[in-house]
Amino acid sequence: MQTDRELVAYCIDKMKRVGAEKAQCYLKHSKKHELNVEAGEMTLLRTNFDTSIILKAIIEDKRGDIKINKKDTPSIDAAVEQVIEFAQSSYPDKANDIAEKQSPKEFTAGPESPDMDLMYDKLAEFIDYVHKTYPKTMLEQAIMDFTQTNIIIQNSNGVDFAGNRGVYSFGMMFTSKEGEKASSFNHSGFDAKSLDKPLKDYSTIDMLLKQSSESIHTRSFPGKIEGDVVITPDCLSSFVYYISNMLSDYMMISGSSPYKDKLNEKIASEILTLHANPRSPEIAKNYFFTLDGYEAQNMTIIDKGVLKSFLLSQNGANKTGKPRALNSGGCYVMEPGKTSYEDMISSIDKGILLCRFSGGNPSDNGDFSGVAKNSFLIENGRVSTPLNETMIAGNLIELLKNIKGISQERINYGSAIYPWLHVKDVTISGK
Amino acid sequence: MQIYDLKKYKQLFKEYTEVRVQENRNISISVLNGDVLSNTRSSESGVSARVYKGGVWGFSSNPTISDETVQTVINAATENALYLNDRVRKNKDPLPGYPGQAEHDFTTKKPRLSQKQLITFLKDVDNYILQKYPDLSARTTMLRLLDMEKQFINSEDSHSLSIVPRSIIITSLSLLKDNQPFELYEVFGGFGQFEDVFEKPEDLYEKIDEQYEHLKKKAEGVYAQAGIHECILGPELAGILSHEAIGHTVEADIVMGGSVAADHLGKQVASPLITMTDFAHHAHGVLCPVPVFVDDEGTKAEDAVLIKDGVLKTFMHNKESARHFGVEPTGNARAYQYSDEPIIRMRNTAIIPGKDKLEDMIASIEDGFYLMQASNGQADSTSEFMFGIVKGYEIKNGKLGKGIKDTTISGIAFDMLNTISMVSDDMSWSCGGMCGKKQLIPVGMGGPAVKCKVKIGGK
Repeated sequence: MQTDRELVAYCIDKMKRVGAEKAQCYLKHSKKHELNVEAGEMTLLRTNFDTSIILKAIIEDKRGDIKINKKDTPSIDAAVEQVIEFAQSSYPDKANDIAEKQSPKEFTAGPESPDMDLMYDKLAEFIDYVHKTYPKTMLEQAIMDFTQTNIIIQNSNGVDFAGNRGVYSFGMMFTSKEGEKASSFNHSGFDAKSLDKPLKDYSTIDMLLKQSSESIHTRSFPGKIEGDVVITPDCLSSFVYYISNMLSDYMMISGSSPYKDKLNEKIASEILTLHANPRSPEIAKNYFFTLDGYEAQNMTIIDKGVLKSFLLSQNGANKTGKPRALNSGGCYVMEPGKTSYEDMISSIDKGILLCRFSGGNPSDNGDFSGVAKNSFLIENGRVSTPLNETMIAGNLIELLKNIKGISQERINYGSAIYPWLHVKDVTISGK
Repeated sequence: MQIYDLKKYKQLFKEYTEVRVQENRNISISVLNGDVLSNTRSSESGVSARVYKGGVWGFSSNPTISDETVQTVINAATENALYLNDRVRKNKDPLPGYPGQAEHDFTTKKPRLSQKQLITFLKDVDNYILQKYPDLSARTTMLRLLDMEKQFINSEDSHSLSIVPRSIIITSLSLLKDNQPFELYEVFGGFGQFEDVFEKPEDLYEKIDEQYEHLKKKAEGVYAQAGIHECILGPELAGILSHEAIGHTVEADIVMGGSVAADHLGKQVASPLITMTDFAHHAHGVLCPVPVFVDDEGTKAEDAVLIKDGVLKTFMHNKESARHFGVEPTGNARAYQYSDEPIIRMRNTAIIPGKDKLEDMIASIEDGFYLMQASNGQADSTSEFMFGIVKGYEIKNGKLGKGIKDTTISGIAFDMLNTISMVSDDMSWSCGGMCGKKQLIPVGMGGPAVKCKVKIGGK
């Protein structure tokens, strides 16, 4: 029986022998243990084993990709034959390539296997806590899992990386109800290398449960203003996602990114610094290398308001002639600001605390609009009434320039670290 | 399709057990500005088992399908159920069964096209767009093919075998106007394998020409004024409304989790003009975009009439929620991958057509909007919904006016449904939808055009 490393080497060799000029093989094994909660009760224990093999072949600048989840030789041989046919069937593109040779490395992070009894006990303790502390709040769904992944990536240029990671993940969705009145659902979660404290004490879990229980009776925002918005760390992930899309392959290659010619130019307030740090010890759900075969390195995307890197893959970089990113994005870390959250709120006469954004995908020009969910009115320097049927509209490009303050406090989700962000001149409208 | 004799594993069942062997096959090709950006095929298959004991479930899956692994996943799922049952102690009775049996293979009888022929088809479409509309700043043509193949047995008499394919082409056109980019997409195809859905590239051109004209009008268009307006929601939006704003709030697991719909059963929640059904496999005698004959718990699939003449009649159920509410399940338990457990999902959710003509509906509005296409949609346990709108027109004095730029609509579904005053006499299905509740899964969404009052967001 061959080892996984031998299997990957076999795939590369086989692709080369049947015609691939350049070849890459990615093999992932994952083992997941997952406990599910529905309507406040533990309902399901899952154990899943999975395998994923992705073959990439390039012949005369033409590329094909095949993904299978079998590792027996007949399945591998059939996949190799197919990937060659796919590459031959395609059209040449000089941008198709594989990563250059780097020093072989093996990386490891997190535990190898879960403590099932600990997972169960922590989840049971949490269900009990929610039930007793927030009797109006229903845990609609909660998932606690531990996933162990083992990945090997090799290519015909000599790239040879292996990465092993174990991580606990928790996610929950909840609603509060009183009589026929219900709050909007909300969600939170975290990733962690260990479970060494009660689940309620991770990320924003207890904060959002408390907010939910206080958000059953809501009102619409009074009137329509161009006003101040404080974006919470939970909500900030949506906006960072939109910005990251504008810096990534599709919008950059198609030319629709408003930032395509803005490298080393100021695109945001000088108080904003944003990193993508997949190798940071602060990030539990990290990664070690990119899908196109480069060792991942931490990088700064926006430094004091200046765009320092796009999020281009090797292919995206080759297509656009712009520099390749040092990683595949994600694991975002926003630098803290100098304002305390309390001072930030007290500086606002009228605005909203934006806790979740339910919006249409922003236009290519950055225009966005949507509903301010689970959000609160800010009046005279205090967070007051929970809101419903309140919409916000603005422009992402302007939003980055209109940052008034960033909080000193930040939340570590294990997959990202975000502060509270104070922005101005957003259209807020009520019913 | 490789047929497995799953019945032989029944002797291994110690508790109520389900075994499913499944393969999902995907092909994805993307052509961006003439370059083949992706050219990928994936196949994910394996076996899973789910076991019920005393009110909890154990589940296990493995990508290798063999006598040994089937036995392994049955044993692991049983151990998981016993472990959880020992700790949780709900002491619930076994679930009642509603066994269904069905075999449906919807694969094409025509010769299959090669990858080269598929790429050439897309390149021909791309070339048509390039030649006819050189002023576009970007163009993308994407092919997405999915075959879902399932074999299932459980401890009861349920057994099913199905291959349900879907084939979709998406064209996306971008235009610069005053240095501002504008984009519009169009979806072609739906249920069936490529050879049964698409004959020749030329069949797409008329709709692409319309897409370009809509894009031009959008780029030259105006921002919709924020506020509550009289609007016509086109069939595609009515379909998303059915799915997102109403459908999710009446899924029984969401109801048990706190949805406001829990208090509305048997009550008037919509205009009497509204009847809404989650169809199992046929609607009005025609096969639906996502036909389900036996669900992934082995229950025979039936239509679920959710709203009848404006009154909320039922929720969508799996076996467990049906027992909780004292009704029979209608076969809404579905799983996407072999490694996914079945959860309550919609199948083909649609508002039933009314008696009005679309042109009369438009003519009846003095100052409002005709909203035709959404980018995405989300809804809430409160039934508050949001849809991104990417195609629409002003209505001025009963006639279509200028195009509108991207905007968002929102409202409380159970309030908005009561404002519906006209329903068109035709309907169409959106066949490319994927719902993302825990697991992705293909869904059908359909409807006629409806006239209502809705809040438009914006500056």
